[in-house]
This record gives sequence, C-alpha cells and structure tokens, in this order.
Amino acid sequence: MSRLSTRVTSHDVVHIIDEVLGTLSDTIEDGVFPEIGYYGSSKKNVKYSQEAGYVPIDESPSFIDGRKVESAKTIAGLVYGLSRFKEHLEQNMSMSLRDFYYMHKVKSVQEVLKISEQTETNRMINLCERVIRHGGTSVPREELGVVSSPKGTFYGDVALSDLSGKQLNCNAAGEYGWFISSRPFDVKIHDINIDAAVFVEKEAMSRNLIELGLPESLRIGVGSLFGQPGRNMRAWIRKLADEEVPILVLVDMSPWSLRIFSTIKSNSIELANIRGLATPEAKLLGLTTDDFWERNGMLKDIEHSLELMSKSDVKCAQQNRNIPAISEDPLLKKENEIMLKKKRKGELEAFKAFGLPLAELKEMYIDYLKKKSADTDVKLI
Amino acid sequence: MLTPQNYSQDIVELSISAWFYRNRAIAGFDNPARSLYVSVRELMENSLDACEEAQILPEVTVLLKREKETLGTDVLSQGPEIFELVVKDNGTGIPRETIPLLLGKMLTGTKFTHKQSRGTFGLGGSLALLYGQVTTQRPIEIVTGQKGVGYGHRIKMRLDIENNLPIITEEERVPKSMDEHGTMVSFWLQGDWIRSKRRIIDYFTHTAIIVPYASLFFETPDDEVIKYDRVIRSIPKPSIESKPHPKGIDVEMLKSMITSTRKRTLKSFFIGSFQRVGSTIAEEFLTSIDLDPDRTPESMDQEELVCMMNAMEKFNKFLPPSAKTLSPVGTKVLQAGVQRLAPEFVIFRQRSPSVYEGHPFIVETGVAYGGQLPPGANVIRFANRIPLLYDERSDVSYRVVRDLNLRSYGLKQEDPLTFMMHICSTKIPYKTIGKEYIADIDAVRKEIDLGFKDCLRELSKNLRTRNRASIHRKRESRLSAYYAFTAETLSTATGRQVSIEKLMGSQGGCSQ
Repeated sequence: MSRLSTRVTSHDVVHIIDEVLGTLSDTIEDGVFPEIGYYGSSKKNVKYSQEAGYVPIDESPSFIDGRKVESAKTIAGLVYGLSRFKEHLEQNMSMSLRDFYYMHKVKSVQEVLKISEQTETNRMINLCERVIRHGGTSVPREELGVVSSPKGTFYGDVALSDLSGKQLNCNAAGEYGWFISSRPFDVKIHDINIDAAVFVEKEAMSRNLIELGLPESLRIGVGSLFGQPGRNMRAWIRKLADEEVPILVLVDMSPWSLRIFSTIKSNSIELANIRGLATPEAKLLGLTTDDFWERNGMLKDIEHSLELMSKSDVKCAQQNRNIPAISEDPLLKKENEIMLKKKRKGELEAFKAFGLPLAELKEMYIDYLKKKSADTDVKLI
Repeated sequence: MLTPQNYSQDIVELSISAWFYRNRAIAGFDNPARSLYVSVRELMENSLDACEEAQILPEVTVLLKREKETLGTDVLSQGPEIFELVVKDNGTGIPRETIPLLLGKMLTGTKFTHKQSRGTFGLGGSLALLYGQVTTQRPIEIVTGQKGVGYGHRIKMRLDIENNLPIITEEERVPKSMDEHGTMVSFWLQGDWIRSKRRIIDYFTHTAIIVPYASLFFETPDDEVIKYDRVIRSIPKPSIESKPHPKGIDVEMLKSMITSTRKRTLKSFFIGSFQRVGSTIAEEFLTSIDLDPDRTPESMDQEELVCMMNAMEKFNKFLPPSAKTLSPVGTKVLQAGVQRLAPEFVIFRQRSPSVYEGHPFIVETGVAYGGQLPPGANVIRFANRIPLLYDERSDVSYRVVRDLNLRSYGLKQEDPLTFMMHICSTKIPYKTIGKEYIADIDAVRKEIDLGFKDCLRELSKNLRTRNRASIHRKRESRLSAYYAFTAETLSTATGRQVSIEKLMGSQGGCSQ
C-alpha cells in the first residue's frame, strides 16, 4: 500500500505542465480547436472496497471540447492556472486557494474570465488535478504548489523533520503538539515511540487527554482532527499507518461523525483520483452505539445524557445509506441504522456527565481506551 | 272644442337639413374641437373617395387658417375661434349641375348604395358645410373642373336650412388647361384647434399609413406643414356595388324592394334581387315556407312579409355573401404604408372573406416591430380605410391584443410593437352611433385574433433568425476573446509566440 512509488518531484510537475502547455500551443498554432481530456470521478467510475477505500475504475477520460464557448473559457482558465503553478513551482513558492482566487482578480484576467467566487477557482484547481497526471494517477494540488490552510495537530513521542528542515519531537512542540504540515508526504519521520495513534474529532477532548498525561501513560499519540479532517491530516494519518502505527479514531456518536471516520478510512468519491488520502487500517474506537445500549456498554450509565437527533441529523443518517463507504461497511452500516432507529446521538463531552473526580476521570479514560482498543485488536499497556 | 287650427299652431315641420343640424351630435359635431376634426376628416375622405373611384392617385391638400392671429393670449383658457378650411383634391371634378345637389343638399350623394365606402353617414361633407355656415354665416366656395374641358366652375353658395336647398349667390367660369381636374372646397367654420390638434394630426398620420398611394399635404393654423409623399403607385381596386344578401336586410328594405321590383314571380324576384341566390335555392326556400314560387311579389301583404323575413333569417342554405364587393387594401400597400413608422420588421396578413349577419367582411392584420416604434404595444385601427381614433379601449381589436400571450412568441410587453387592423365591409359593425370603434362580434373577433396570431408567429420566426445571428456573433467574439487570452498566456508561459490567426481567422475549418 506504499504510495512512495508514485511520488513526484516538483521538477517532474513542471515538466508535465510544460508538456501540456506545449501541446496546447501546437494545437492552436495549427488552427485546430483543442480538446482536453480529464478524469472525472463520480459514483459511476469510482468503486468502494473495504480494503482500499474509494478507487477509480474504468479510467476513460472525459473531454473538454474547445469549440464550445464555455469550454473555451475553461481552457483559458486552465492555461492561466497552469502558468501560475509553473511559475510558483519554479520559484519554490506555495499559494493558498484564496491566493489563487486573487490571481484571477488581475484586471486583464478578470476582464476575460470574469471570476466572481472562490468556488469557481477551487473547481479550476480540481480540474487541474484531473488533467495533470503522473504514473497513472492525478497529481494532487499540493504538488502544484497549492496548499489549503493546514488543519490539525499531533502530540506524541514521534521525532521528525518537516519542511522547515528542523528536527523536532511531537511531544515537545507546544501544548497541542505538532501543527501538521501542509505537505505531510515531504515530512521525514526519524523515530516513533508510540504503540498507537488516537485521533479525536474534538479539540477539547484531545487537550484533556494530553493534560491528563494519557499519551505518556499509554504510549500513544493524540491527534486533533478539528472536525472534518483536512487533506493534510488525512495524508499524515496515512503516513503514520505506512509506518505501521495502529490508527484509532475517537468521534461523537452521530451520523456526521460516521462521515468523518469514513473519510479517514476510505477517502471520498470526489477525491478518489488523489491517492494517499485513505487509511483503510483505521479503526473506530468510539463512541459507538454499543457503549450506551449494550448490556456491558461502558457508557450505559450516562445513557440519559444522549440528545435527540435533529431533523438535519436524521436526514444526514438517511443520506448515509447512499454513501458506499458507510453502507457497504458492516460496522458503520450497523451504527448508522441503530442511530436511525433510536434517533439519539452522543457526544464526546458525555464523559463529563459521570460527574467523576478528575483522578477517576483519568482512570475512566484509560479504561475506555484500553478496552475499546483491545476490541479492535490493539493492545495498549 | 278642439279644431284643426289649434293643432296647426303648435306643429312645426322640420326640413331634413334642419333636423340634422339640430341633431348634429350624432355625426360628431357636438363641440368646436370635435367639429373641426370631423369637418377636416369628412371633406378629406370625400376627396380620397373621388380620386379612388376614378383610379387616380390622390393628391389632397388641406389648409386650415385662423381668421385672426391670437398670439400672446393664454392658450388654455382660449375659446373657439373662426377658421377657414380649404380642401383640394385631384379627383374627377363635379359636373356643374350636380354641385348644388352633391354638396348643398342633405341626403343626396353617392354613398347610399350596397357597397363598401369610406363615409360613415354619407352626409358628413354636407353637414360640415352646414355647420360652417351656421357658426359663421359665411358662404361656401367651390371650384371644380373636369378633364377634357377648357374651363372650370367657381360657385359661391349658401344653404337654405329650412328648405334643404342650396342658394347660389355667385357663379363664374374659370379658365383652365384641358388636363387639369379636381375640386376645391373652402368655407369658414368655428373650431377649437388647441383641443383638436393632436387628433387631427393623428388622423393624418394614420391616414398616410392606410393610403400610402396618396400624397397628403396639411398646413396647420400654427403654420406647420405636415406632408406625406406617396410611397407606392398602386391603388386598390375600387369596390363594386352588389345586390343585398338575404340575411343582410330588414323588413322595410324587403318591402321597398318588393314594391320597386319588375319581376313577375317571387322566384324570379329572389333570383334577381339578392346575391348568390339561384333558382334551386330560391325554390327550396319558398317551398319551405309554403309560398308559391310563381306568385306575384305585389300580392304579398305586410304579415306575410314579416313571416318571410323571419324565415329568411333562419334559413341556412343561402350561400355566404360574396366578397367581390369588398376592396381590401392589400398587404403590399399596407406594407408600404407602415414604412412611414420606420419599424424594423413588418408582417401583414389578409384573412379570407368572412360573414357576420349577412354582411361580408375582410380583416387585414399587421404587426410592426422595433425600429423607431415607441415601446409597448400600440393598436392602430382602420375601418373601410379610415382611421379610428376614439374609444380605443372598447374596440374589439384592442381586446384581442390585450388577451394575446406575447411571451409565447418570445416578445415582452414593453417591446416596441404596433398592431394594425383594417376591416372592410359593406357594413362595418360599429358599436355606437359615434362610429368610432368596432363591436365585439364573435366572427369578427375570431378573424382579428387569428390574423394577429399569424403575424406574430411570422414575426417571432424572424426575430429568432435575427437573434440567432446575433447569438452567433456573440459566440464568435467570446470565443476569440478566450483564445486570444489563452494564446497570450501560452506565449508568456512557454516563451514562444502562439497566434490564433489560423484558429479564428477562417474559423479553423471545424467550427459548427
């Protein structure tokens, strides 16, 4: 499952861009309307498998027909975008999605392309990823120099050097640990002294875990997802998994959180063309419906704290039935159906409803993590 | 005891002209503003009729002058003034003997026949002269001359209202060339120009549309000149007189026809007096009401005539009346006339003849679009080639236009659209005595509706073609803008000159 084989250097990327621009120049010079192939992803040509997450199948390209006015506009935007990427890569500069949007506000560009919203330029970047390919897969936008604001932190005894070139340890990089790089593939890991990595949906919970000293007591790493994880976080999780660190995920018991977990585990249909974002080895630690409703459920004493699902929660759960990564995964499917039946949801903060003294709360957390990870065949000391 | 003398003291016998003068509002002479408009209009229509009957391309000059200049006074509070109205045409002229009868006597004229004619009453001209004399007490002057005669006549006359007779006060022969012909009528009348100006000018504008083969010249009291040169040299065929249709008459008319007929039998009376009745239909009709076809017409009594009349109304085997009596303007002439409004597109349609209540009629509809037309939908109406200016909103064509769904033709309410409708008939279905708008009769409404819809379909087709061309142009220009940008970006990025000349120059050979 190693992604190292498909890694490209920025030199490669510039080369690919040059090739595309050169071909386009030749076509236009010859007086022929260009036609550009791209690899779209939708339910039709993306398959879900439990072992690998979403994988593109039947890779036949769609075409942008340059004879059509709208397509000509797309091609103009594409060419402009590629020329920007090329310049930035050559100068070793990165740009954000918002930067890229503002590059379209250059007067001469604005007059032609008439971009009015960032979603339009975001879509353009997405298209570039689908056009620029290397070794049979899409080149992710990070390789084109476009990075979104990175999101997520990781705490634990992991020594690495990031893009700054400095070596650091994730348990000594501030109260949250290490702020995850925008390009985790380029981070070098030197040493790993953890038995597992726990990724927590909510920042408050993970901070509590760090404050209570759990990473040290259990030899684990603790990551904060800050809601739906960004591409950088997913790539970092993948990287840890490649280092054979067991990945455990702790999220709310809600239909939305099932989506968060499934994105970590299986990537998404939309980004199926980008490899290295899925971690099928990831395990759902909690909160699960069993915790509250099984006879031996660890959280059954606080069952009363569960809240009613709102209308949009129910709608989300119903839509989950159409998401292959949930409906075709036996565990997630079961969770989703039970939630739909019970119409109630639980949050990570529920632990506070025990009303335990803090020392006992720590024990509770340790017990919970140990028991639940043992259920997923990961042994913590 | 009552005696015959007692009666006779109170009884006054009115002459026909005296009666008409007292009831002049019927013909539109109810106030000075309207009287001025109606006078101009009646005399001008007489002139146009005179020319068209002789198939001469009309040239009509109208001069309207104030008696005295009233500059500097407040125009709004100003009351009626005295005007001199001169109307001159190039018609056949009037023979000396018939001048007093045609113009000086009420209810004599050429329009009391069964055919399509302009005049609404057939006495408008005479009534205008009468009105002028009553309000100003000045004589009427007529100069007329006919082709092939070396001199013309100039006559000054007064109308004797009590006896419905003209009194000639002056008369002289005026020398002229043999080819000259035409008539000029001048007289004085009271009028209100300020309040009738817009109407009279509208009348000229609309008349110029419906008679584009005429040259019109109008000098207003404000010394402005309105001039329309003829734009087409073809003149519609004049209408011909015809026998009445059995469904288009009443008992009185039937009675007078029976008394004046020289036919010996009822059957031959029917065949001879009505249009489109042959021996089969005549016989079938008479036997259906148990009348002997060989009976003499004179032997019919009043009661039998009423029965016969009722039966004629119900009998449905009479063929529809013939449209040969009608003289539509023709789409070509209308097309030429509407060019005076300078529209971008004009579509005219002539419907086939149709019938209401025994009267044949033909509807001609037109839709003009764009160009110099004002925004919004306007309706211009004509009946027997005269423009209808009053009571637009009550007119059937206005209602039809109002009910049209313009959107289904790709048009908007605020688009510059002018709808034109001309109806010609031996009897125009006016709604009121004022004769200014057409009644909402199903048969008429249907024809107008279908006519307008036909025009709109054609118009929307034209507009689509035009828009397609402009969409195509727009597409081309956007396409080349995009590729110009692409090529420029490529040139900068690759460092080699990329040109789109080949691509856009000849459309690259693969554009659709």
